[in-house]
Amino acid sequence: MSLRQTLREKQFESRRFEYDDETEYVVDLGPSANGTVDVVDNTAIIVGDKEQYEIEIPHDAQVFMNNNVLTIEVEE
Amino acid sequence: MKLTVKPLKQKDAGRGLAAVDRQAMDEMNLENGDYILIEGEGGRTVARVWPGYPEDGGRGVVRIDGRLRQETGTGIDDGVNVEKADVQPAKSLTVALPQNLKVRGNVAPMIQQNLSGQAVTQGQTVQISFGLGPLSSMSGQKIPLRIADTEPDGTVVVADSTDITISEQPAEQIAGEESKKAVAPNVSYEDIGGLDDELEQVREMIELPMRHPELFQQLGIEPPKGVLLHGPPGTGKTLMAQAVANEIDAYFTDISGPEIMSKYYGESEEKLREVFEEAAENDPAVIFIDELDSIAPKRGETSGDVERRVVAQLLSLMDGLEDRGQVIVIGATNRVDALDPALRRGGRFDREIEVGVPDKDGRKEILQVHTRGMPLVDEINLEMYAESTHGFVGADIEQLAKEAAMNALRRVRPHLDLEEDEIDAETLEQLRITATDFKQAMKGIEPSALREVFVEVPDVTWKQVGGLEDTKERLRETIQWPLEYPEVFEEMDMQAAKGVLMYGPPGTGKTLLAKAIANEAQSNFISIKGPELLDKYVGESEKGVREIFEKARSNAPTVVFFDEIDSIATERGHSMSESGVGERVVSQLLTELDGLEELEDVVVIATTNRPDLIDTALLRPGRLDRHVHVPVPDEDARQKIFDVHTGEKPLADDIDLETLAERTNGYVGADIEAVCREASMAASREFINSVSPEEVTDSVGNVRVTMEHFEEALDEVSPSVTEDTRERYEEIEEQFDTEEPDTKNNDVGRTFH
Repeated sequence: MSLRQTLREKQFESRRFEYDDETEYVVDLGPSANGTVDVVDNTAIIVGDKEQYEIEIPHDAQVFMNNNVLTIEVEE
Repeated sequence: MKLTVKPLKQKDAGRGLAAVDRQAMDEMNLENGDYILIEGEGGRTVARVWPGYPEDGGRGVVRIDGRLRQETGTGIDDGVNVEKADVQPAKSLTVALPQNLKVRGNVAPMIQQNLSGQAVTQGQTVQISFGLGPLSSMSGQKIPLRIADTEPDGTVVVADSTDITISEQPAEQIAGEESKKAVAPNVSYEDIGGLDDELEQVREMIELPMRHPELFQQLGIEPPKGVLLHGPPGTGKTLMAQAVANEIDAYFTDISGPEIMSKYYGESEEKLREVFEEAAENDPAVIFIDELDSIAPKRGETSGDVERRVVAQLLSLMDGLEDRGQVIVIGATNRVDALDPALRRGGRFDREIEVGVPDKDGRKEILQVHTRGMPLVDEINLEMYAESTHGFVGADIEQLAKEAAMNALRRVRPHLDLEEDEIDAETLEQLRITATDFKQAMKGIEPSALREVFVEVPDVTWKQVGGLEDTKERLRETIQWPLEYPEVFEEMDMQAAKGVLMYGPPGTGKTLLAKAIANEAQSNFISIKGPELLDKYVGESEKGVREIFEKARSNAPTVVFFDEIDSIATERGHSMSESGVGERVVSQLLTELDGLEELEDVVVIATTNRPDLIDTALLRPGRLDRHVHVPVPDEDARQKIFDVHTGEKPLADDIDLETLAERTNGYVGADIEAVCREASMAASREFINSVSPEEVTDSVGNVRVTMEHFEEALDEVSPSVTEDTRERYEEIEEQFDTEEPDTKNNDVGRTFH
């Protein structure tokens, strides 16, 4: 399953941006979500407003969250 | 850093995001989600960084939505200064509400929830939605709040720990930045969904010449001065003009047709001249003429003298001896063919842009626009609604969103106390639109372009068609597959069949099958009854056919259903008696089905019980290319038909459907239905005659239809298909079957040579 579908299953509406060297998946949790993200092995643990989601990510992906914008970078 | 402003994609709009191109992000050392300060000519604002669209890489572009553009006082292609903002969490915040807002209770938590995470500065006006959105007529109406004071000063971000106090002074009295005029909710480019290409063309025509006339001087050409927008009603022509007017900094005026008409001789033209003069004085200017066909109909065809003079005046104003200067005219009409042809040439309306019915992606964008300000529950999948709304134009989708919101409102209405002047803040907070609201709304709304020919889709499923397995399968292949598996058709380089002809003796279920298709195919369904196409005026009957296909095309995917097609498509060259209408209708049908104009995603289904009477040209591949024989049912099929018709009836135990099926040789579906009906009728007769009227309700549960009743019914209903008819249809089938493989063989032969 593609990362985008995985994200959609967890109710995250993601955008995919394809650049030359990598692909970025970006999710905006909304300005008030207070979200954080943690990566353990191949799982990203996203803590949103009240809920917590776990998402499988590719092993070489970079994950970070900044002011409630979640970015997952996957190198091609 | 200096960047150029571009519009944001619809789906990202309305959230305070700014898509900065990647190279610029690297240079400024920005990461996704960082706060940036955008400073334009007319103000400054704070936004969060969103990754730039790949196509922007290195072009020095920042994409922001209409709200941010308004806050910074910039338009598309303007330059803005972008820098990383140093944002601190706010300790406390004082906000001022507008004077006319009537909400009871403590709104501070709601404001906090709305603003939480947003960056604000003192004096800034922020628009927040109180969940009032669906209640108002404008979608996503927002309430403007003014930030009266912040602690610490400077740009701060509102956090959960921020204290929010409501200022006692209303927002209007707080002197902040220069207060802008309170204009009605503006239309920005992001409010237009699914019309990106069209919008780009309009902008190129209008914005470019206004901003950089030197480009055109260099090229030695006159910049274009007129755009004509045309397309079906409700597709967004007026909205586009509004958005353009709003986004460019030019004098804007509009002419509405009937308004300029006057009862005095010559005054209508004078009013038209006045509008153009006024625009020329204030140039650069845009004149928008809505419903252009009302003031500029074909001169040869109008009866009135005034209309003719108004058209002539408009012609000379648009391209006469006098130069009209920097005045651009946008015309909108949904009857482009009704316009005077002299208007439709270069120099007057240089470009004609068709604003069509949106496709799936367009519909999704429009849905996103209209649900942007709505409090939706999370489960709502807009894509699903975009898929199931074929033929909907923007206005229909807006209606859908509005109806869904009204449904949500209906749910909370019992809890509202309408006597009170103010509505409780908590109730407002609870307003949410659910998937059920949307489903309910979907039921009530049909595509506006189809309303004239819309039929309530019958509630017949494949299950209710007994037997006919082969026929069903072939229909499904022809009609459902191309829509469900377009990728297979593409991969195999295969064209979907254009039409299906179902033929067979009366009563075998042809119409029932068509009903099932209509229900199962997930397409729009247009049903044509042959004789209704005929009209007493010459040419009108053919026009009817043309209009049907026109409608079908603009609302694709569509199934067009002709019942009893032999009535309008009989063999040409035989009839002597009539005026030849029939033949012309046939010819029109032929060209529509396989003419120069492509029929995309339109399937024609026709039924007949006299296939031998139909014009052969209609039956060739490329037109009604699949011929499906709906045969007289055999024993197995009859049993299934009995199953369908007795499924809900109280049968006695002695009834054996197998025996019944065996004994009903020659009965078609309609006959079997009649047998079942007669049998139950016999049972009812016996029952009602034997019981007193008072006891009927109590003992009705004990009635059973027995074999005896069926015997009685079989005596009464005789098979409608005789050996002769059956033979004749079998002959016809043979004829059709041999015809098809023959042509195929020829094809193969040709390719091998």
